[in-house]
Amino acid sequence: MTIEFRNVHASYDANIPILKGVSFTVEDGEFVAFVGTNGAGKSTTMRLVNGLLKPEEGEVLIDGVPTTELKTSELARRVGFLFQNPDNQICCNTVRDELLFSFKAIGALDADAERRVDEVIAEFNFNPDDDPFLLNRGTRQLLALASTIVVEPPVIVLDEPTTGLDFRECVKVMNIIRRLHQSGTTVIMVCHDMEVVADFANRVIVMSDGCVVDQGPTFEALRNRRTLQAASLVPPQIVDISLGLSMMRPDLDGTLIANANTLNEMEAAIAAAVGNPGAASSTPTYAPTAPGAEDALEEGGAR
Amino acid sequence: MIHINDFTFTYRESTDPVVRDINLHIPAGAFVGITGAAGSGKSTLTYAMNGIIPHCYPGDFYGSVTVGGLDTCETALTDISAVVGSVCQDIDSQFVASIVDDEMLYGLENFGVPHDEIEARVAEALDDMGIGSLRDRPIDSLSGGQKQKVAIASILALHPKVLVLDEPTAELDPASSVGVFELLARYARTHGTTVVVVEQKIALLSHYADMLVIVDGGRIRFADTPANVLAHSDELLAIGVNCPRSTTLMNRLAADGIYDGAVCRNVEEACTALDALVPQGALAESRVVA
Repeated sequence: MTIEFRNVHASYDANIPILKGVSFTVEDGEFVAFVGTNGAGKSTTMRLVNGLLKPEEGEVLIDGVPTTELKTSELARRVGFLFQNPDNQICCNTVRDELLFSFKAIGALDADAERRVDEVIAEFNFNPDDDPFLLNRGTRQLLALASTIVVEPPVIVLDEPTTGLDFRECVKVMNIIRRLHQSGTTVIMVCHDMEVVADFANRVIVMSDGCVVDQGPTFEALRNRRTLQAASLVPPQIVDISLGLSMMRPDLDGTLIANANTLNEMEAAIAAAVGNPGAASSTPTYAPTAPGAEDALEEGGAR
Repeated sequence: MIHINDFTFTYRESTDPVVRDINLHIPAGAFVGITGAAGSGKSTLTYAMNGIIPHCYPGDFYGSVTVGGLDTCETALTDISAVVGSVCQDIDSQFVASIVDDEMLYGLENFGVPHDEIEARVAEALDDMGIGSLRDRPIDSLSGGQKQKVAIASILALHPKVLVLDEPTAELDPASSVGVFELLARYARTHGTTVVVVEQKIALLSHYADMLVIVDGGRIRFADTPANVLAHSDELLAIGVNCPRSTTLMNRLAADGIYDGAVCRNVEEACTALDALVPQGALAESRVVA
């Protein structure tokens, strides 16, 4: 499913424009991260994807169809939305009812829905009778994610999915999202944590002051220091070290050190540079309990 | 400034203590970062420092907590609040006004700040947070990050001796998060404000804090300088606390037998260490093959 923005303008107040001519395309099956400062227009862009907000000018197209021509329920089947604050979307008294509500909302509550809810309860290891409002923040975030994906939308939009989570919760949430992406779901994510962006996104779109100022493959965008500075962003730490060393040491130009993006790449590059390439043998020791543990964030990642 | 002695606390509706046997002494002007996994007791520690415990959350309180010489059990919450300024994790629960300017004025007027000082204090706090332009905006029209900045500014304007902040940068972008930590460090250095921050962003804590406190299962596992705490990266990882990637890189190189220098807390320290480590004139095998 392709998402296309064509010269989109949007605002909440006619006197305060938020988006000022945004254009981009997210192709089917991509994992795209939106980065930028507070107020850059990222969350507004997300609200336009699932029709919570309509463009004042320009068009938002889902597989070529403008969102203005789609009913809310049709959009909801195509685009799942995870709010930054899970309390903005949890509304039922039990975990099971919360998950079933997602099917009610799109008019698809049937026997298959019951089966699918049971699958998700097992996958996430939820207690179906728990009161969602008594769960801790991380578990409420997982429940909100589960209720977003239980109806298997082809596109999911995630607004800061890791905010307020500790490292283990962050790893768990992001590994579930990665598995969804690997199974073909298109993922669009707003994220301030550049380590998470570096570890998971395939492409990055940089926003500043209501406009798209850069977009490209993840590390191409995250190594563009000029653009990141213009958007008041900092690169992930290994990229920052790589760029910093390149500036301090012109003799490193063109070396693996000057091009390393990940912890493993930088460790191997340093070992090679000091003439001991076999030394870099350590591996991440953190073993998360979430399904798909092999896809964990790099050690030292996520903040 | 803050003395916590043999402190154990059990919420009334609970049977087990949420924090136990806590001993922590924070000198005036220190910048202390507290981190740990969810549910480890971090927020409860801040509630003990700002008097929310025992005044708002009753329960079994053992030991003692004094802040600025005030015993929190024997001092009214209003009097504790004159010393300790707090920024809550849930910022929406903190706001009492609908306009940013009114929110800024509320605390100043309630604490009896002379009227001729108020304007300068409001302007300074808003400028410090870079949100002077939001002064007349309705709070419900602000983004999450902008609200967070207003909440911090409204407390900074009170000039408290102690600042206790629970995840103050959770909704802020990276540059704004750095800006908040720079500002807090400046308040600690120039005003002698004691700053206590609960935060998941370990990279920021490691860079700015004088002392890092790691809480696990209601107990303090480490309370030391960031470099001394980060040297225990494996133990930290085992309790769900991750080190900054720059620290992890240098710790791995140390484990590989390549690096034997000090623990690096941030990108700058890692760059300096690697500059010294990597010989001038890069090796041929280290070059990228086109």
